[in-house]
Amino acid sequence: MTFYEFRDILFKLALEKGCESAEVYASSSDGFSVTVLDSELDKYSVEQENGLNLRVLINGKTGYAYTEVFEDAEELVRHAIDNAAAIESTDVSPMQGACVYPRIEDTPDPLAGLDAKEKIELARRLEKDTLAFDSRVARCGQYNSVSTGTVKTHIHNTLGLAADTEKSVSYVIVNPILRQGDEEHMGFSFKFRPTEDDISALIRESVENALNEFNASPVDSGDYRILLRNDAAADLLSAFFSMFSAEAVQKGLSLLSGKVGESIAAGCVSVVDDPFMKDNPRAFDAEGVPSVKTDVIVNGRLNTYLYNLKTALKDGVASTSNAGRMGVAAPVGIAPSNFCIAAGEKSFDELKKELGNGLIITDLSGLHAGINTVSGDFSLIAKGLLVENGETVRSVDQITCAGNFLTLMRDIEAVGSDLRWAFGGGSGRVGSPSLLIKKVVVSGK
Amino acid sequence: MIKSSIVNAVLDEALKTGGDFSELYLEDTESNTMSMINGAVETANYQRKVGAGVRVLKGTKSAYAYSADTGEAALLACAKAAAAALKFEREYEASAICVDRIGVSSAKLPFSEVTNADRVELLRRAANAAKAESNEITQTVASYMDCDHRTWIFNSEGLHAEDRRPRARISLRAVAMANGEAQTGSCSPGYGMGFEMFREKIDVEAVGREAAKTAVTMLHAPECPAGKVPVVIDGGFGGVILHEACVHGLEATSVGRGTSVFCEKLGHQIASPIVNAVDDGTMPGEWGSMNYDDEGNPAQRNLLIENGVLKSYLVDRLGSRLMNHPMTGSSRRQDYTFAPTSRMTNTFFAPGNDDEEEMIRTMGEGLFAVKMGGGSVNPLTGEFNFAVGEAYWVRDGKIISPVRGATLIGKGAEVLMKIDRIGRNMWMAPGMCGSLSGSVPTNVGQPRIRVSEIVVGGKGGAL
Repeated sequence: MTFYEFRDILFKLALEKGCESAEVYASSSDGFSVTVLDSELDKYSVEQENGLNLRVLINGKTGYAYTEVFEDAEELVRHAIDNAAAIESTDVSPMQGACVYPRIEDTPDPLAGLDAKEKIELARRLEKDTLAFDSRVARCGQYNSVSTGTVKTHIHNTLGLAADTEKSVSYVIVNPILRQGDEEHMGFSFKFRPTEDDISALIRESVENALNEFNASPVDSGDYRILLRNDAAADLLSAFFSMFSAEAVQKGLSLLSGKVGESIAAGCVSVVDDPFMKDNPRAFDAEGVPSVKTDVIVNGRLNTYLYNLKTALKDGVASTSNAGRMGVAAPVGIAPSNFCIAAGEKSFDELKKELGNGLIITDLSGLHAGINTVSGDFSLIAKGLLVENGETVRSVDQITCAGNFLTLMRDIEAVGSDLRWAFGGGSGRVGSPSLLIKKVVVSGK
Repeated sequence: MIKSSIVNAVLDEALKTGGDFSELYLEDTESNTMSMINGAVETANYQRKVGAGVRVLKGTKSAYAYSADTGEAALLACAKAAAAALKFEREYEASAICVDRIGVSSAKLPFSEVTNADRVELLRRAANAAKAESNEITQTVASYMDCDHRTWIFNSEGLHAEDRRPRARISLRAVAMANGEAQTGSCSPGYGMGFEMFREKIDVEAVGREAAKTAVTMLHAPECPAGKVPVVIDGGFGGVILHEACVHGLEATSVGRGTSVFCEKLGHQIASPIVNAVDDGTMPGEWGSMNYDDEGNPAQRNLLIENGVLKSYLVDRLGSRLMNHPMTGSSRRQDYTFAPTSRMTNTFFAPGNDDEEEMIRTMGEGLFAVKMGGGSVNPLTGEFNFAVGEAYWVRDGKIISPVRGATLIGKGAEVLMKIDRIGRNMWMAPGMCGSLSGSVPTNVGQPRIRVSEIVVGGKGGAL
């Protein structure tokens, strides 16, 4: 059965069974990924995914059911209605009606035109160039890969919404393993839709990052002024993203509850959610709501939370077009579009001079375990560089950085110009420039 | 599920470019999830995941193609796509040994016979118990999942294996708040059984109470002192230290690629002589168990470390080719969108001979970590980090105060050598483990153990 036939049967059945409205969120995707190790093709994968999530609104309650086979529509509708009947929350999730979207100019994907053979060739070259970049590169790790794909999404409902989109998502990961004496360290750098220049820069960066980890040792425990490098800052902001979600606020699970209009960060900090960014634009969110740009923090002051239709209705405001789904099978939640701390003026090198004496933090690990999104507390294993008088002295590892996210936001002294995006996170993403921070508690020796 | 003529056509097509092994994996998985916030059902979901993957190996090269469409044409297209990656001379000789392995579901009460009302009742009982524990509990988030995972595997060596793995889990997260501060506690038991687990194994009220107690205790706990100290880690989820700091480094995914500190260490002393460690996928009804692994091999009990000496790695088919090591029934994948690879099942330190009280009494000053949170590890260097969800500070061998915000960091290989006590009573706790082949259910476990020193990180409170 085609998507359109299946959709029409689902809608008919749902309305017959008394649903006020019904919506399908369907996605089909094709993907390709290749890894070359020792000049030979090591791993190769061809992917074809297809899924449909039915959402019904009945007696003011929302129910979901997901399938990957377009058959037995009756059973799917029954599951969705049954799930709606179980809901006790009184929140109402309205659906978006028919609407017109602004035309979005997407940046072309440099890898989209390559055929399988050319992609294998690119992966081969990726390994060769990485090995040739520095004599200490012993080999490449298994994440060294070229991946491409396209995702088609349809959001259609019985209120007349028919939002369709197609997006290409390619990326390259460079994963060198460096050896010096008995010590080995791994680099990991990625870029979505990379150009040739980006790929050369990735190789350089991943090798230099791994080189920075040799001959590292902890520093003494104590309070340190730190320069949180852009990639580590983006990872941290990404881990605390849910604080800005109206869903978390309404459920009492965010420390930002009641703080709209208040100063929650240093004056040099502004945070924006911008769906129109040139390198990753979208016309609508996961509920088909037309995109709007949202100023979340303006010069340190919290301006708004991020809303989807349900949470916006509850707070009596408009959706900020931040409906998102953690995959096709997941229910509607809240997700970023391009959510980031707005870039400042200073380069990383200028911030390093300004740091004077302190630590550059280049990596924070354990983000899924070492943070508490409710209390804002974090305690994370970190790597970095010890800086004295604005110059790097040596590498640092086996330390933890601990603090509270809101305290950290207030302690930001300067924001860099080097905005960078964190890895992963579906269609939405979270980014940050490098941040100079007054004080973080470090435990080491 | 599928005609044998189609299976044979697909397996043959996959070998047409010279692969030496092909495999067809089919899956049909139904699952239900539900969440309750502050006593009201918030979400209820149903999912059915159906698809297939074709894998071709030639030596240590692998190609995988998968599709949500399980029709004959789509399966043949997958086989062609995977085969296209390996264009070499044809060398394959069919070996026609037929092996049938049929794993049956252990569920006495299958989830298809469970209603949403049954699920709601469990969540409500857990949430009420948490709320009743203390008036400082301001929020409860209860969640439930059940899953009926069915797989069919066919390969070019004539193997046909089927498995059916039911599992369910309930989780309660309680938030305690006072004076603008918030702390959380959680408890999340789960088993590889049918819905009967909620009668036979899991006391849902106890789940709620335990989560609430941790949250309230931590709310009144000062910040944990930082430094290098002896640490006693309690049983159950404490075993995450073994999982993260050691056994990830024994998986073929890292050993076979030369990216583990435990490479070429078979037969070597890698841990203190009192340490015995096991990965056992055969334990009936456990969260990490299975009848057959995701390459169709029977699950096994693997002795990994015996008296501190490394005895075995965890090895899948590709890993066995890379490492020249027998397969260990350890091949797993989240679903058909992942090629399988070596993974853990139920992994634990075996019981030792030490007294649980004595190890605290004689530790001097240090940390007693009662509930571990999650963690992660860099397999290349063995560097790990764990959050500690509930911990107490010990001075002169006596517990003096709960402490919050502790993390444990170190290198796996060093910590294994520093284990100086292992208790007598082992128990396990479930988790979801993420790696190359996706997210799979694994149990971690241990008796109470003591490590002579670990770096404790935190905001550095003074007691």
